[in-house]
Amino acid sequence: MELLGIFSNLESAASAVDGLVRAGFTEAQITSLTSTPCPDGVLVKTDQRTWFRWFTLACGIAGAGAGFLLAAGTAWVYPVQTGDKPIIAFYPTGIVTYEFTMLFFLVGTIVGMFLEMRLPPAEKRLYAPEISEGRIGICIAIHPGGEAVACGEGVGPAECVGPVASLSAGEQKSLARKIMREAEALRIVEEATS
Amino acid sequence: MSEPAHPVTKSATQLNDEMLSSLRTPTWKWYGLALFLGAVVAWGMAAFSYQVYTGMSVTGLDRPVMWGVYIVNFVFWIGLSHSGTMVSAILRLSQANWRRPILRAAETMTVFCVAVGGLFPLIHLGRNWVFFYLIPYPNQRGLWPNFRSALLWDATAILTYIIGSSLFLYLGMLPDLAVARDRARGWRLTLYTVLAMGWRGTAREWVIFQRASTLMAALIIPVAVSVHSIVAWDFAVTVVPGWHSTIFPPYFVIGAIHSGIAAVITLMIIIRKAFHLEEYLTPLHFDNMGKLQLVIALLWSYAYFVEVQTTWYAHEPIEWEVFGFMSHTYTFILLLMLFGNAILPIMALCFRRLRRSIPVMLAIAVLINVGMFIERFLIIVPSLSHKNMPFVWGTYRPSWVELSVTAGAFAGFALMYTLFAKTFPMVAVTDVREHESQRKLVPLGRTRLPSLAGKE
Repeated sequence: MELLGIFSNLESAASAVDGLVRAGFTEAQITSLTSTPCPDGVLVKTDQRTWFRWFTLACGIAGAGAGFLLAAGTAWVYPVQTGDKPIIAFYPTGIVTYEFTMLFFLVGTIVGMFLEMRLPPAEKRLYAPEISEGRIGICIAIHPGGEAVACGEGVGPAECVGPVASLSAGEQKSLARKIMREAEALRIVEEATS
Repeated sequence: MSEPAHPVTKSATQLNDEMLSSLRTPTWKWYGLALFLGAVVAWGMAAFSYQVYTGMSVTGLDRPVMWGVYIVNFVFWIGLSHSGTMVSAILRLSQANWRRPILRAAETMTVFCVAVGGLFPLIHLGRNWVFFYLIPYPNQRGLWPNFRSALLWDATAILTYIIGSSLFLYLGMLPDLAVARDRARGWRLTLYTVLAMGWRGTAREWVIFQRASTLMAALIIPVAVSVHSIVAWDFAVTVVPGWHSTIFPPYFVIGAIHSGIAAVITLMIIIRKAFHLEEYLTPLHFDNMGKLQLVIALLWSYAYFVEVQTTWYAHEPIEWEVFGFMSHTYTFILLLMLFGNAILPIMALCFRRLRRSIPVMLAIAVLINVGMFIERFLIIVPSLSHKNMPFVWGTYRPSWVELSVTAGAFAGFALMYTLFAKTFPMVAVTDVREHESQRKLVPLGRTRLPSLAGKE
């Protein structure tokens, strides 16, 4: 369950984030929606660690294997004897292996990136098109009250759900809505559209 | 920083309006251009069909020159593709802020140049209908392609490059597609929604996106270098006089960057004029691109000098024969190449005023590419005309079929670019807006200077 506040500028969005954190919501529950990147800490603090590059590396290694097997394996299984040259030619095998390695690296980067971003999403999420026109969205994840729930991968329940956990989901929502209105939110979106 | 990239401060909506102006409903002029380019492409395809129907005898190819304008085109287009992605990647990695408005034009150029260039080995094949012999697969005769064939290296390298550069273009466009999606209706809405993959611009998405962009930029550079090195090895690993040279791969790569930068400048000028992007593609961008072009022109001249002076000093008979034949038979185009590729850019681009003059930059950029096309021709044809056996020396003159296919290729590239420009954002909207949002005028002494806010 999420709540999205739309703000006209960075200052009012930042003040909403401050208000939410002061009220007991944790940083892990809050994220910003912007059409240009903001340096970490300007609005929210995000985990800077990523794992997709390990996926890229794994793909690259798989690509090297695939390229080598294609070039050397083919030559080995279907030998083409040319003069006194070796059946598995060093030069072409090197070229094909290199190109396949790089191809798999590149494809792996894009696939890994989308996997880590969890895009395309499986279900509709809160969004407002005016974000593309420079508005700032502050999105807060509301959790079932009184229950310790992990709100992000690698984030423990204690870090995730702050003092507001004692409130019911409805009370958390009302509190967040009130804080966002006080910070001059232009509107609050509660229905998922995208 | 002495001058802002574009000195205006506008709202996000205004910036979106201006930078997405290319997506507006096409005008009659646009339809006219598309129709004209389509007609030239159709003519090129008709000429190619005639060649398929009649046979390769309709080309100017004959013993001993069996590589002609088609292979010249192949090397030229693959070379042209080089700088788009490479310049974009290098500028991204070096965090050069002036890169932002030119990224999309450059990256798009790469994709379409590789697409056009990749067709020429297929056109050149002769029996085009067995083109799939290039693909490594088992067939009913138990034959597999010979991996020792340079043609297969090209196919592998070009496949990697076209997929890589398309992904690189798409990655850079992802946030812009979301912006376009949020303003679109009808079929465009469906297209952008699918391509934007549900991008919302969360803080986490931006962190991952930026890491992925940097990684892709770092990965695409060695691919670009390898592709043109492999094209150069098509020549260098043979024993044909004039080709068997260790300098060929770096020389080809430098030449490719030379023509690629010139093509980016040409496209920047056309896009600037066509879509009224004067505020985003400013003289500063042409000044910086001019400096890059100057450095590459010097490098190209050095490489060419090294190649020629080695031949001259060694005076190996057959090598010198090829050089003599080239300089006597093709004197005018040789001089035009030297003027366009070296003398003119080196002399003109030293001057800031000329680098900032759009007409001068256009003239230089076009002449460089004329020079680079000639350079590819002079590498291929004279060497094949005068190989080691004098009793099979000959000459080559392209036929109307080859010239028509070449014209069709140029028109095809322009047509793809024109269609793309009407369908996708031609300026990296979010990149430019990010720069704008971080820029602020701060007082310093007696003046106010632009300052950039950032993490580092």
